[in-house]
This record gives sequence, C-alpha cells and structure tokens, in this order.
Amino acid sequence: MSIQRRLGFVLGIILISGCATTTATNNAGSADSISRAWDGRPDLNGIWQTLSTANWNLESHPAYGGLADIGVLGATPPGLGVVEGGDIPYQEWARKKQQENFENRFTNDTEAKCYLPGIPRAHYMPYPFQILQGDRKIMMVYGFAEANRTIHMDKEDPVPAPIDSWMGRSHGRWEGDTLVVDAHGFNGDAWLDRAGNFHSYALQVEERFTPVNSNVLRYEVTMTDEETYTRPWKMSVLLYKNLDEAAEVLEFKCVEFSEDLLYRHLRRSASTN
Amino acid sequence: MKIGSKMSWVAKLTGLGAGLLCATFAQAELRVHHIELAVSQADTAKKWYEMHLPCKSVADRPMRIMCGGMQIELMARQSIGGSQGTSVNHISFSYPDVAAKMEALESIGVGGAGVRLQRFDDGALTRADEGIGVHGFIFDPWGTRIELVEAAGEPAFNHVHLHSADPAAAKDWYVETLGAAPSTQGVEIGGLPFHISQNAEGRPAGTRERAVDHIALAAADVAETSSELDGAGVKVRGPATPANARGDSQRSLLAGPDGVRIEIVDSQWDGIDYDLGGDPVAEVAAVTTPFEIPRTPWGEPDIQGMWTGNAAHGIPLERPDDLVGQDLSEDQAAERREQGTLASIWGYEREWRDTTLGYDKFQASRQVALIVDPPQGKLPTATELGEKELADAAARRLVVAAGPEDLSSWVRCITRGLPTMMMSGVYNNGLQIQQSPGYVAVQKEMIHETRLIPTTAKARPGIKQWLGSSRGRWEGDTLVVEVTDFNGRSKYRGAGENMKITERYRLVDADTLEYQFTVEDPTIWATPWTGMFHFKRDEAQYKLVEYACHEGNYGMTNILSAARAKDREINEPSGE
Repeated sequence: MSIQRRLGFVLGIILISGCATTTATNNAGSADSISRAWDGRPDLNGIWQTLSTANWNLESHPAYGGLADIGVLGATPPGLGVVEGGDIPYQEWARKKQQENFENRFTNDTEAKCYLPGIPRAHYMPYPFQILQGDRKIMMVYGFAEANRTIHMDKEDPVPAPIDSWMGRSHGRWEGDTLVVDAHGFNGDAWLDRAGNFHSYALQVEERFTPVNSNVLRYEVTMTDEETYTRPWKMSVLLYKNLDEAAEVLEFKCVEFSEDLLYRHLRRSASTN
Repeated sequence: MKIGSKMSWVAKLTGLGAGLLCATFAQAELRVHHIELAVSQADTAKKWYEMHLPCKSVADRPMRIMCGGMQIELMARQSIGGSQGTSVNHISFSYPDVAAKMEALESIGVGGAGVRLQRFDDGALTRADEGIGVHGFIFDPWGTRIELVEAAGEPAFNHVHLHSADPAAAKDWYVETLGAAPSTQGVEIGGLPFHISQNAEGRPAGTRERAVDHIALAAADVAETSSELDGAGVKVRGPATPANARGDSQRSLLAGPDGVRIEIVDSQWDGIDYDLGGDPVAEVAAVTTPFEIPRTPWGEPDIQGMWTGNAAHGIPLERPDDLVGQDLSEDQAAERREQGTLASIWGYEREWRDTTLGYDKFQASRQVALIVDPPQGKLPTATELGEKELADAAARRLVVAAGPEDLSSWVRCITRGLPTMMMSGVYNNGLQIQQSPGYVAVQKEMIHETRLIPTTAKARPGIKQWLGSSRGRWEGDTLVVEVTDFNGRSKYRGAGENMKITERYRLVDADTLEYQFTVEDPTIWATPWTGMFHFKRDEAQYKLVEYACHEGNYGMTNILSAARAKDREINEPSGE
C-alpha cells in the first residue's frame, strides 16, 4: 500500500467514524471520493464497460490472428491477462479441453452462438451493461444477448438456485463499500472467453464490486470449480462508467446473427437441389 | 421437547394424571381429521376423485370427499407446486390389483381432466419393491402425487408418505411432540400410518400452499393442545376461529419437521369457506378505499416486484358479439381460460400447467376483452394496407421455411415484439420490474427480454430496433412510456415502423398492476385503440427462472429438418 493510499485510508476512517452505513475499505481511495446512493451505499447505477482484452483471452497473450477471410477483424489484440498469477490452474484434462476449444473457437464459442454469456463473462465483454441499484435488489442488464441477472440481497440466507442455468443465481451483500456476490447454479455450458477458457456446472463464483472512485469499479472474481481447476483462482478487471449523457444499453438481439452458423446445414440450399 | 412437559400436556388432554403411558393416550387423542389438497375448482376435483379413486361426496359439503376412510378437503385456491419435492411427498391408496388399476388409469389418458401416470425409470407403471410390494404412482391434475399400493380387500386410503432431511429426527418429533406411535416405517397417528423416508435432495420444501397443503389433526381441546405445544417450544398460530370458518370451532396451525404444515382442529371442525367473506358490499368498500401508492426511498412511485400475467391469459383482444355490455361470471371466466389453455398447451402436461405455470394460483380474469377503447371493445376499422398486411401475414405462416428467416421472431427466440411481448401466453408470464433513480427495467420471462426505460428526459437514440425505443415519465403515480422507432420486423397485426405505443403502468392496489397500452398507426387503423389487463403480484413464490429460449431452441432444428423432409417429398414423390 502506498503512503498516499495509506493516508487516504486513515483519513477515510476518521471521516466516516460514527456513520453507520459506510465503512472504509483499503480498496477505496477515500470514502468521500465515490458517489453514494440514497442509503449511503456506493452508487453503482450507470452504464459500465471494461477496457481490458479479457473477453478475447483471460490469460496473458500476444496478438494472434484468426479467420483469414475476415482479415484483421478476426484477430485478437494483445493483452496482459487478468488472471492472478498468470495462468488458470486447470486440471490436466481441462487444459487439453481448453486447447481444443481454442482450435474450434470460431464455431464453438458460446458468444459466437449468441448464447447467454454467464457470470463472470458478461462483465468483461466488449458490450456495455447497466446496473440498476434499487432498494431491495440490484439488477444488471447486459448489452449482449438480452442477458440480465438479478442480485438477491440475501447472501446471508440464500434461496438456492431453483435450477441450473446459464446466468446462475446471485446472492449479494454489502461489505463496507464492496458489493459481494455469490453466484452459483450454472449449467457449465458458457465459455469464459473467446480463447476457449471454460468451467463446469460445479463453478462457484465470488464477485467483489468495489468503487475505486465515482467512475471506476474494481471487479474481482474468485473462481472455484473442483471439477475443472486444481485450486480456486482469481481474476480482476476495472470497469469504467460511460459518462456520455446519450449512452444507453441498446438492443443487441444477436440471435439472428448466429442463425447461419447454427442452422446452415438445415437451409434449403444446403440440403436440396 | 422434554419428557416432563409432554407428560403434562398429554395428561391434561386426557384428563388423567401423569405417570400413565402418555403415548398411548396421545395416540387415542390426536387422530387425522382430514388432508387438505389445493385444486383449481372443487367441483371438477371432486368428480376426478370420485371417478378415479375410492372417494365419495359428503352431503352438504361441496368441498369434502371421503376417500376409503380418509376425509379430504378440496380447496379451490392457489397452489405453488405439486406435492413431490415437499415434505408430504405423496398420499397412498391401496388396491387389490395395482397393475390392473394402473392399466385402467392409463387407458383414460391425460386428455381433459385426465390422469397423469408417473413411470419408473424403466418405463414401467408398476414395480415390486421390498417392503412395499407392487406399487405405482399417479398425479391428480393439480399436482398431488398419489401412490397405489397392493393390499387385499376394498380400495382404501393407505398412508401418508413424508420425506425428511433427517427421518430419525422427524420420527422422534412426531413421537415425542405429537404422541405418535413409532412404527417400522415411521409413525402412526390415530392408527393412520405415516411413512417417513429420507429425502434424496437435501431438505424438502415445506407444504404450505403446495398441492398437499396440510394435514389436519383433531384434538379434544384445541386451546389446551395449542398451549401445551407452545409451552414445548413449538411455534403455534392460534387457536382461533377463522372469519370464514363454517361454524364456531377453532383451529391452530404449526409447522412440523421439514415444514409439514399441521393444523390442529376441533373434532367438530367443519372447514372454512375459501370464498373470503363473500359480502359484495364489503368487497366494493374495500376496493374503493383509497390505496396509497408506495414510494421508493428516492421518492418515485414504487411498482417494483415480481408480477405475473397468468390470470389474464385467455382474454381475447376483441369483445365477442354475444357479450356486449357484460362481464363474465367467475365460472365463465374459468371455463374460458381452461378452454384457451387446453387448446394451446399442445403436449404440455396438465400438472405442469396447473402448478408450474400457476394456473391454480389466481382466479381467471373476468374481463371480457383486452380492448377498452373503443368502448365497444372492437379494433378500429383497418385501412386497406392493414387488411393486406393481415392477409400477407397469414400467407407467410403457410410457407415451408427455407431457413430461420421464414419463421416468426418468436419461434426464432428473438422477440414477440410490442405490444405482444407484454401480453399473457400459455407459459412464462412472469414480469419483473426493477427501479433505480430515473430508470425502470421491465423484464419479461418469455424468451427473456429486458426493456430499459429512462424516466427522465433523454434523447432517443435515433435508430430503429425490434422493440423500438422506450421513453418514460411519471404522471402522478402512473408510469407513462412512449415507444417509437420500431424496425417493423415484428409487426403487430400489420403495424410496424409507423407504430407508436403509449403504455401506462399503475398500481390499483398493493398486488395489482394495471397495464394499459394505446396503439397508434394511421397507416393500419383509422383511429388509435387501447387495451388493458392486470398483472398480479407473485412475490413469495415466483422465481423468474431463466428462459434460455435460443439456447434450447430444439424446435428450430426440428421445424427446419421437417421442412427439408417436406422439400424431399415434393421433389421426389414416393413411388417414383
């Protein structure tokens, strides 16, 4: 922790001591540099998006090419990776599977098929998402595939997922200025990025949304999946608020753009003379 | 519960001193009075039970049947799911020849108020199991799971089957707290066997508001029993005489292990009328009492929550000619929904429809037509283009699809379009509304679509979209949303790019959201028209389960491969 941040932290404690609804965390610059909602909690409302290349590849990677016939549009920009410690600790079979996925990424990535993106991927795709922070629940509405999630603020006494699903079920709680969410109940079909990184139905996600300031959220994720990984691992990206007043999460009903990929073999031209 | 307190309770119950064999007296004292099942209509349910199981009507009791020695109350009320998965997993009847009985039931089929058979993993209807003998399972149309076991003699009620996360602890509770007699398979209460099995998936759901809602036990003195149970640390509600009780006898309610809902009643207990009050004057007064719209902490009207349009399913768009100037009776409304549903559930099973889809939960709407303006309930005259659009749409439906593009945007899991996406269908009528300062999100379960509606002045994006662009504002307590800029690819009766929809969302009481929509498109209709229906709040139960429509669109694969087969039939007629 830098001197500056340490000072901010100490100052934060002094400033907010006696205030019941907020507590300082060593993640926030200082307690009063972030927007507050009606109840004194951090105000996460707004449209957010990452600047990272996480959706191309969570692990660190140089640039690489893709489908030749669409030129550079199919290429992957280089990235530092967002996985703590560098690589995802896959079990041996799972690393092989990921490599297979990578080879078949242009047809098998669930993003290519316009399938629901799952958690945590929905947050680091190159599409904006909007947080609606109400007084009872928090909803996140994503600019990809009409996905959304409701965060039930019942982390202490969670109602279990009624059934496995793409987006799972989310249970949240405020810990100081950090929104902590447990997500579980995944069907295990969603990929984590365009490089074939993946998980199983056994995935348990712990997410931490911590304001760095009014316009930046640190999004930290702990991934636990005993079927796929050798140990829990962490990733972290920054989410930036879109300050453009005109910004909105527009309709991206991508189904129609996936139909040729999925149903080409069933088209009239393909199977009849 | 401590032995001492049990003794004194039993002693008081029986009027005898402590020191006698309490369990024996308790067993003699507490007996099963009735089992209560939730059904959609008591009359229909009564007929079903009389037809398929050894049940007979009880004189002067429209909701009660006597089934091979067991009284069953059929309550016309909402149920949130079947009995399987709850702590009262099923009830059981004995038949001398179970295989023959199952065969007879199979021949009835699931059509109409039929019988749903639950097959074993190998597809068989019956199986011989150790300790049980030959048995099989069926469901009533309202979700109660019923086992048929083999036993000689006349068909009779056999046992209640409880499921528990901890059967040993449950057994102890029934023995120690209710004075039940232990048995090999569980306990006996008043001579009636209760089997207790390990629940396979952790803790079973409680029975409250499920198809088997509760088990009622008769006590000599409800007040005494309640007070003793209370003293023993059991949370007891009552005793009281409910406002809608028949007669003046009392009852108490408590939760047993794993959420088995248990009612303690007087032996003279004669049930309750589900028709709450039933005084039309009082009902009108209640409705006209001003309802204060709740506010969000930041001061906007609060319409958040989980809503369903289930009750509105089946309301036709236009008023039928024979119903000018009148509403439907409750029976007519229920009949209409039933017909509409049966006509459109295709292969869906009734049990699924009635429970999962919530058709038991709310009274069907008595509204005659969605259109409230023009007041005669008919669409305004269509323009020439409007007529042509309808004819074209009808013709498109007959095309053998060359690819996904020839199918409707609903079949493709893209959208049902507006205003259709807000309307009720045969399933997935959930509607979740979430608010944040200056925004309302409206999430529709069908297909899964979420509309983000700003309620402050915000310029439109100026692009055409499937659902257009929505701009909202609060007019008093009403959320008014104007939707324009449709891409015209999911037309409503011909109206597309030129359509403007104005929606009005307003709470009429805490649990009723009135939804009005005005549709304008001068190229299609001479004048604007307005439809209206209600969403009902369904907070406690309705979990908006993800509808991954496109991800699971096997229908698309099947439709297209069938279309290719059709192509081949045309190109290569058989016999050539």
